[in-house]
Amino acid sequence: MITFERVTKRYPDGTVAVHALDLDVPAGQTMVLVGPSGCGKTTSLRMINRLTEPSEGRILLDGRDVRDQDPALLRRGIGYVIQQAGLFPHRTVQDNIATVPVLVGTRRSAARARAREMLALVGLDQELATRYPHQLSGGQQQRVGVARALAADPPVLLMDEPFSAVDPLVRSSLQDELIALQAQLHKTIVLVTHDIEEAIKVGDRIALFHPHGTIAQVGTPERLLGAPADSYVADFVGFDRGIRRLSFVAAGGLPLDGGPLLDAATTVEQARAQATGQAWLLVTADGRPAGWVPAERLADLPANLPLGQVPTEGFGHSFTVGTDSLRVALDAAVLSPAGLAIGVDGDGRVLGLASFDDLRAAITAASKQDAARQREAAAGAMPGQDEAVPGERDEAVPEEVVSQDQEDSQPTSSAGAAP
Amino acid sequence: MMWSWIPGNGSLIWQLTQENIYLGVVPALYGLIISLPLGIFAARWRWFYPPVLTVTNILYAVPSLALFIALIPSLGLTNTNVVVALTVYSVCVILPNVVAGLRSVPDNVRQAATAMGYRPLRRLVTVELPLAFPVIIGGLRVGVVSGISLASVGQLIGVSSLGYLFVDGEQRDFPTEIYVGLVLVIALALACDLVLVAIRRAVTPWLRERRGSAVPVLAAAGEGAAPESTLEAVS
Repeated sequence: MITFERVTKRYPDGTVAVHALDLDVPAGQTMVLVGPSGCGKTTSLRMINRLTEPSEGRILLDGRDVRDQDPALLRRGIGYVIQQAGLFPHRTVQDNIATVPVLVGTRRSAARARAREMLALVGLDQELATRYPHQLSGGQQQRVGVARALAADPPVLLMDEPFSAVDPLVRSSLQDELIALQAQLHKTIVLVTHDIEEAIKVGDRIALFHPHGTIAQVGTPERLLGAPADSYVADFVGFDRGIRRLSFVAAGGLPLDGGPLLDAATTVEQARAQATGQAWLLVTADGRPAGWVPAERLADLPANLPLGQVPTEGFGHSFTVGTDSLRVALDAAVLSPAGLAIGVDGDGRVLGLASFDDLRAAITAASKQDAARQREAAAGAMPGQDEAVPGERDEAVPEEVVSQDQEDSQPTSSAGAAP
Repeated sequence: MMWSWIPGNGSLIWQLTQENIYLGVVPALYGLIISLPLGIFAARWRWFYPPVLTVTNILYAVPSLALFIALIPSLGLTNTNVVVALTVYSVCVILPNVVAGLRSVPDNVRQAATAMGYRPLRRLVTVELPLAFPVIIGGLRVGVVSGISLASVGQLIGVSSLGYLFVDGEQRDFPTEIYVGLVLVIALALACDLVLVAIRRAVTPWLRERRGSAVPVLAAAGEGAAPESTLEAVS
């Protein structure tokens, strides 16, 4: 648990980088600090491990003021991942990773063994252990940076724009790996980025900064997308936030219709009989979707031809009921020539179809539920506000309170449901 | 050219060569020992460097013979006189490389070391100095090579080195002796330089098989300047 209490950073020239910051980072969660450049997000991060000292206020790490601790010892207990990795060019990959274990007095052989375990953890080949950093790609270097930060198994991990120097494809896979790693390790992570997409993807909670060192809103990604505190937040999270918010709503509640499902063995004649009033028929093979056939095409075909041999239109993609989000289902409907999203089970077998009307109903229901939860939480939390979030006094309060209530449902959906 | 002179004076030549190696290498090592703390200080406290650089540049401009003579009242016509003077010159060439080497350590590497929990001294010794080493050794190469050639000037105040062969050859109008001295000084400088290059390669395995130039510009410039100063001092 990391707590910022009225933390201000003022530089000698009068610039205020961070102004009276109050922020709680719950243990075991990923908190993303996001905002435009110069907003104080990196300064805030660096004050946690005392690379920068606050001018006012204090930062508590598990209840202890970080300034009461020896900086070097404090830092050995906090993993740090820097932009462009910042690996030591004169040390091999394994010795880079072994840095903190060696600093805290682990024997070199044991530290190297640990380093090799860490290589496996971040998905790197053992044979890279004896290479030098310049012999690795940018993405590999960044993984080594993460391995180095985690080698001494610190409870807290600070990441300063960790993925900004790699290309988008590699960045995306590094983000996925971070999410998977976090699901396994449950570190308290503070990650700084200027990329709101990254924040939404990897964050359990997001602190969005104003340009001059104050916080505009703190909350789950879903809260920022669904209920931005002001127009600044709404602009920052982007114009299609309505659709992106659906990433956090499970498609499980979506009503599924039986619809015009026909097995590939069905003949054209049988299909004609069954398909009255339908514009499109979904052909399935072994229960799995094969493609859409326009009903009108059946008129010109031989009566005994099986549907499996009729040319079909592609169905784009289906959505998996139970794991995918409404956003995936909506996308499936948009891409489908029939305008129907195909819901499948974990094996890819068709469970049913969802129309735009079904989707609209599900979205409306989700929004209502969300609003109700918000009211409920706001009403419930008001009297007990002080104990819920000590020190929160500015505009971040309502968000902070609401999101605390939703915590139990959020982490799973934010980690698993993003398309 | 009288070839028979060489075997006839083998022991003299060998003794002079040893003396020249001593006068070339020892002051450069003293120079390194002095330059390291000064350079570390100058790299950390930037205000300290410009005045120091001005002083060393002025000292470097003093002709070697003038410096030897200036030291006679305190140190006399001794080896120490020449060693002290040559140490001054080697500081002049090594110190800027120590500073440049330390400044060439990438900022994110220094930051990362601090953030990992290094204390300043350990960070300096195990991260910054190893990374600065190729540039520092570039300065040491210039220091050793120029020391070996400047040592012969010490002969003018009676301190023995291969310079003896120049003075004696000139006085006796015997060119062979001068040529032998010249070849030996150059060969000695080259040999010491090669040894230092070998040391650098041995202790910087991370720079091998690297694309492009890994050693920052100043060291390259220093390496280029080495043969030049050798010729200057000899002529």
